[in-house]
Amino acid sequence: MKKFPHPLKIARLIVATAFGLTLTLIFLVPGSAISTVLSPILTPLQLVPSIVRLTGGAVIVLAGLIPVLLLTILMGRVYCSTVCPLGILQDLVIRFRRQFPGRRWFRYNTPPPLFHYSVFSLTVVLALSGSFLLLNLLEPFSTYGRVVSTVGGPMAVALNNAAAFLLNRLGLPLLVHLPWRVADLVAITIPALVIVAIGAMAFWRGRLFCNTLCPAGALLGILSRVSIFRITVDHERCNECGHCERVCKAECIHSASKTVDFAACVGCFNCIDACPTVGLSFEPIWHRDPRTRTNDGRRSVLMTLIAPVTGRLAVDSTIAPRALTYDESRRLAVAPPGAASTERFTGLCTACHLCVSACPTQVLYPSVLEYGLEGLFQPRMNYTASYCNFDCTVCGDVCPTGALQALPQAEKKLTQLGKAYFVREDCIVVTKKTDCGACSEHCPTKAVKMIPEGKVLLPVVTDTLCIGCGACEHACPTKPRKAIYVIPSAVHGKAQKPDTTPVQQGKQELEEFPF
Amino acid sequence: MAGGMRLEAAGKTPDLVAVKGGEAEAMFRRGIAALGGMRAFVKPNSKVVIKPNIGWDVPPERAGNTNPKLIAEIIKQCKESGAKEVTVFDHTCDNWSRCYRTSGIEAAVREAGGTMAPGHAPAYYQEVKLGTGKSLTSVKEHEAILAADVFINVPILKSHSSTRLTIAMKNLMGNVWDRGYWHANDLHQCIADYAGYRKPTLNVVDAYAVMKRNGPRGVSVSDVVTMKAQLLSTDIVAIDAAGAKLLGLDPSDVRHIELAAARGVGTMELDKLAIERISL
Repeated sequence: MKKFPHPLKIARLIVATAFGLTLTLIFLVPGSAISTVLSPILTPLQLVPSIVRLTGGAVIVLAGLIPVLLLTILMGRVYCSTVCPLGILQDLVIRFRRQFPGRRWFRYNTPPPLFHYSVFSLTVVLALSGSFLLLNLLEPFSTYGRVVSTVGGPMAVALNNAAAFLLNRLGLPLLVHLPWRVADLVAITIPALVIVAIGAMAFWRGRLFCNTLCPAGALLGILSRVSIFRITVDHERCNECGHCERVCKAECIHSASKTVDFAACVGCFNCIDACPTVGLSFEPIWHRDPRTRTNDGRRSVLMTLIAPVTGRLAVDSTIAPRALTYDESRRLAVAPPGAASTERFTGLCTACHLCVSACPTQVLYPSVLEYGLEGLFQPRMNYTASYCNFDCTVCGDVCPTGALQALPQAEKKLTQLGKAYFVREDCIVVTKKTDCGACSEHCPTKAVKMIPEGKVLLPVVTDTLCIGCGACEHACPTKPRKAIYVIPSAVHGKAQKPDTTPVQQGKQELEEFPF
Repeated sequence: MAGGMRLEAAGKTPDLVAVKGGEAEAMFRRGIAALGGMRAFVKPNSKVVIKPNIGWDVPPERAGNTNPKLIAEIIKQCKESGAKEVTVFDHTCDNWSRCYRTSGIEAAVREAGGTMAPGHAPAYYQEVKLGTGKSLTSVKEHEAILAADVFINVPILKSHSSTRLTIAMKNLMGNVWDRGYWHANDLHQCIADYAGYRKPTLNVVDAYAVMKRNGPRGVSVSDVVTMKAQLLSTDIVAIDAAGAKLLGLDPSDVRHIELAAARGVGTMELDKLAIERISL
């Protein structure tokens, strides 16, 4: 009869299931309230986003960060098997791998920590120098979120819409159609390939990614070297049968020498159950029998600082308003509200795409090269797809790294992401001499006004009132180029408050019918 | 409808009813009574669709959307007249779920026993041919309109940056999916073309709070005056002409009113109409 799993393993499975499901949900359904409600609870526990956010001075994330660090000091990298969505995903791959006879077991093969720390150092140095490229490609929360958002999102929408269509046909309007957000092909394929590669690594050698490339794994690995509870081998009981070694997905147990590389251990607790002699336990260091030991020998490496290989990979585009054509402006990105400036934003965003998923109007899309290579996949405003809702602050509210600051609504309404630019010769009012005014209709501040020109009304932009929300650009019906578009502001400005003098003084109620 | 016996007993039903000086619900009760009561429009077991203006993510005091109290009162009366179902929708401009919520209309409809239908995706629209349109020959029209026996058009009177004002005919733009086509192909003509094709059973113009500038979205409450008026008519051109006057515009300044009158959709010459004026 199969024996009941160790309580720690059961706890791990329950917590991992809860985090796995909720962290998937916040990315999966576009514009869903689930993201807005759950994100502030879940994301402070995500290590790298919270550290990035802390560098911006948001001490609130300590509420998540401190428990994670304390937990690691207490019991090692259990984070990697419970809170990290990419870790949970790899565990699913590893579970699948077990179905293959030749791939059923692992063997001791802890990757050299020097390599891991070198990658980690390079990642940190690049990030400090302003390029988040490597961090964003390796950071587990963002790597996971990106794929769920850009690949899983459209699939969820497709399923939902198909079901909505069928139910509607049956006279059961239980589901509503969801809007499509299909990102640029590059923004879909590269994150997908990255996750396939990580999955392949997991299929090949378990948690290899976590012990070679993952920045969170490196950081927690350092901490776990001093952790209190550890996987401990009882040298008396252990008969070097190797059962523990072959179930260890981190490949960190060496049965023959009865040692565990605890810095590489992801705290799955599979080994405890695998041991036929009850020779493995999870114990505080003071309980350790002098004859038992874990391998702490590899502590040599720390922070080999890689020479600043960096240099910013793309040239800073200083934006000269009015000098850009429509096509040029398309190649630059409007940074979302709360970014403050493109430079600040690209230096803090890990491209997790939580805002992309949560945005109610679905105006946020992953960039490709619009911010330069270093800003790969960081979200930008896509005014062809939609526009920014005037009263909405969701993106800043859910951002786990603080790259988008949570702006109070009143401040957001005056935050100038860019400025609308009107191209007279492309406007329908000029080319067809008929009224249109879609731009001005949608403008929430009336920065775009219509003034008479002959018998028709022509748009005029008041720069100082424009907040760059893109409503005008989105609504403009000219094709193929919009006759009004937003030119991004590299540094977000502050718009003037609109005039609020009452439109009519004195008595307002109708006294006599004018007909 | 206790007030149903009051004014129309004298004889002929008026072409246009104008009410002022009351709350939205009270004005509607008096106005509809003057037109012969709700039962004149809503037969037992019929499917009713109500099309307010829910275009914008703004609260009721901004007068960017139809007054939710008016919508609730209309639903109530439809129900009392035996309507089988009352559906309310709009193809909003701002994000649909935010518009439905912020406008207060979703809550009001639910409370009054109506159904809010979504209109934010092309799946809810079906292609129809207009036949006679000059600029507009076909549209994708909302399924709720196509399925309804009774269509009640309930716009709010507002200034409008592209069409000068928006009242009953302009409100019908929210019946269709591709509004961009209208904007790009002689907006006024398209509005008149569609008005010639889809005739509401009844039009009710909400002029309780009226956005006099910066329409159709408005910038702040300072754009709004509390006019406390309401118009009711089956003639969409007449009601727009009267609404224009309430905003201080001459109906002939608004091209789609002229175009629709010219093609015989209704009459814009108010002095030729039987208008019942009610002050509360």
